[in-house]
Amino acid sequence: MSAPHSNPLEHPEVRQASTWRYLAGFAATIVLMQAALTVTLRQHLPYTEYTLTIAGLALASLLAQAALFFGLDISRAQIWKSVSLVLTVPLFILSVGLTVWMFHSLMQRTMIMPQNMAQPTMLQ
Amino acid sequence: MQVAIQGPWSPLLGRLTLSAIPYTNPILVGTFAVAALIALVVAGAVLYYKKLGYLWREWLTTVDHKKIGVMYIIVGLVMFFRAFVDGLMMRTQQAMAIGPHSPGVLGAQHGYLPPFHFDQVYSAHGTIMILFAATPLLTGLTNVVVPLQIGARDMAFPYMNALSLWLTTAGAILVMLSLFVGDFSSAGWVGLIPLTELPYSPGVGVDYWMWAIQISSIGTTLNAINMIVTIIKMRAPGMGWFRVPVFTWTTLSTNIIGLTAFPILGVVLALLGADRYLGTHFFTAGNGGNLMLYTNMFWIWGHPEVYFLVLPAFGIFSEIIPTFSEKPLFGYTTMVAATFAIAGISWAVWLHHFFTMGAGADVNGFFSIATMLVGIPTGVKVFNWMFTLYRGRLTFTTPMLWALAGLFLLLVGGITGMMLAIPAINYTVHNSVFVIAHFHCMVLLVAAAIFAGVVYWFPKVFGFQLDEKNGLMFFWSFITATAIVFTAMFALGFQGETRRLDYIFNPAWRPMLWTEEAGMMLYLVSIFYFLRMLYVSLRDRVPVASDPWGTARTLEFLTHSPVPFYNFAVTPQVNARDELAWRREHGLDKAQPEAFEPIHMPSNTGVPIIIGMLSLTLGFGLIWRIWWMAGFSLLAIIIAVIIRSFDKNLGYELKPEEVAAMERNLATASIIAEQPARTPLTEAEAH
Repeated sequence: MSAPHSNPLEHPEVRQASTWRYLAGFAATIVLMQAALTVTLRQHLPYTEYTLTIAGLALASLLAQAALFFGLDISRAQIWKSVSLVLTVPLFILSVGLTVWMFHSLMQRTMIMPQNMAQPTMLQ
Repeated sequence: MQVAIQGPWSPLLGRLTLSAIPYTNPILVGTFAVAALIALVVAGAVLYYKKLGYLWREWLTTVDHKKIGVMYIIVGLVMFFRAFVDGLMMRTQQAMAIGPHSPGVLGAQHGYLPPFHFDQVYSAHGTIMILFAATPLLTGLTNVVVPLQIGARDMAFPYMNALSLWLTTAGAILVMLSLFVGDFSSAGWVGLIPLTELPYSPGVGVDYWMWAIQISSIGTTLNAINMIVTIIKMRAPGMGWFRVPVFTWTTLSTNIIGLTAFPILGVVLALLGADRYLGTHFFTAGNGGNLMLYTNMFWIWGHPEVYFLVLPAFGIFSEIIPTFSEKPLFGYTTMVAATFAIAGISWAVWLHHFFTMGAGADVNGFFSIATMLVGIPTGVKVFNWMFTLYRGRLTFTTPMLWALAGLFLLLVGGITGMMLAIPAINYTVHNSVFVIAHFHCMVLLVAAAIFAGVVYWFPKVFGFQLDEKNGLMFFWSFITATAIVFTAMFALGFQGETRRLDYIFNPAWRPMLWTEEAGMMLYLVSIFYFLRMLYVSLRDRVPVASDPWGTARTLEFLTHSPVPFYNFAVTPQVNARDELAWRREHGLDKAQPEAFEPIHMPSNTGVPIIIGMLSLTLGFGLIWRIWWMAGFSLLAIIIAVIIRSFDKNLGYELKPEEVAAMERNLATASIIAEQPARTPLTEAEAH
């Protein structure tokens, strides 16, 4: 990945940049995040489906940003960035996974409710 | 959408009124007088000696990694002193306010600090020590040393390096400004939730805390990117991964932590900001908010931050111990593996900061075991250092003494850390000063490493050694003070003293509290010797060789002392892991290049300091809700970035004959020498 350092515009990563991909990435992110907000505000879905839906929308948004906005792919110029992103996946699993486990445990132990209110809602 | 706030607000000055200036508080008025006097003396000296132009051209606009590193260290030392005074104020309050009959002065019912002021003092102490003292000091050391240690000309992104410094400085200035305009957070350095929410902290204190950290942490993140790229891409020819010095390895791992962890801090503070400014409910007690979400996210950053600080400290020990044992580091490969093991595990231990929150035994058990696992790679490191010392030819210079004292602090801090990793013990001593004593052992180990590193690499940067005699006095007074203060604090923790007390209800604690105060006085003595060490060293300025210690092993000691601004006249070819030791063994350490080649250098630029100062006004505008100031500053930052992106300055080139001349007269190439204005390269010359 040798690159000329005197002119940034000749850098292979810059040369791969594309206006339509920026715009598409921006649009996709706006739509997906708006969808997540709408789902949250309407509160129509049951808790499990709701959680899965916004997690899926977040993942789709992340992929849209990575692929379209940042232009990550497996080309010679971008592969190191793509690999770097993949290498952060264990950190996501650790931090998000352990957080979910911890809050699940916490809710069962500290948010004990009377029998008729036991059904968890979105706000819990 | 914007949240209504208590008190007056005007479009011109936002929440800022004359009552925000604490001119009735004698402590703050005195502090202001001292600060203003120091500022006047410094400014007067600069003007009297006609150094304003020099200061601007050579330092404030520099992109040289060594000068940036030195300025990071100066900022860190100033903030370290400020936070020490905060610590002294806390200990003095606790030594005075014991029992219901203790007198009160300066408006306090007991002691001399009212609770509102005391709370700000401990919040500032922690925030500054972690984020505005230890972090810039370590960043400064890595900035100075790593490019030299890997044989690079500069950092990968010199302009971004300067920007990182000025963003950190902007955050530090905001913290200092809170002394004299408004107040600081009363919610602890961790931002105890829900105290940081607007209904509980309606003033500007939390905003100062939040924006200062937010701005400086952007600087830290940018620096992390810079350091990672520098280490991966800019190593000298021949320096394969298994020839990289251990300090550089630890810098790489610590900056990977920085790059991955600091954005979480940015997010959690942004969400808190949304609560305070926009009326959202991320961390409120109602409307879907979740208090624990803040604590959880804060510590997901907070615990890796601990290793962000301690890993470079381990790296410093790994450089100093072999140098003064005259032996290669024992177990290089395991040392590197242990470094990355610690960095990896650091992501799975954060919940031990809130074992008592109420999670189940399974969750607490997992995090307890994960925390204890950190002891394995740390133990590997300690044994490696011990085996390096074993049968070495030991020289007890001040860097070596600091390193050995650091190992002792690691032992005490590590063992008490193991105790705290057990949830049952944690439930007993949680929120007591036992915890404070434990983590102070760890951060003082970092401080010991910083002092070791500063003394060790100082002659490389400036060409003369720090005075050893005063350095030893500084060391012994500092370490004795540490032992006195924190032994007493461990005892008080076991006796049940909780942290952050502005009034001591139990007179039985008086002897230990007074012991702590005596230790704080000894710290004052150590500051005297530190300043005397600087004074005597600057006065005498005894020149040193390229390797001032005579037994150094790594590449940075191959080039001259003081190091020229271009680092190496010729990029070195690396032949071994301890390159200088290898060259010494082969009689090549004094070899000089026969011919020189042109050296391409980056040009200085004023854009980073301008963006830094605009970030300061942006932060100030947001804190006081002066919307025009915040908006104007943000717009100006965006414009400055755009202008910079169209800057066609391609740097300049040092001609071989110019390099040869400077190699003959090194004083002209040192980082304190003023350089002549140089013409930037044209497009044609660059190609």
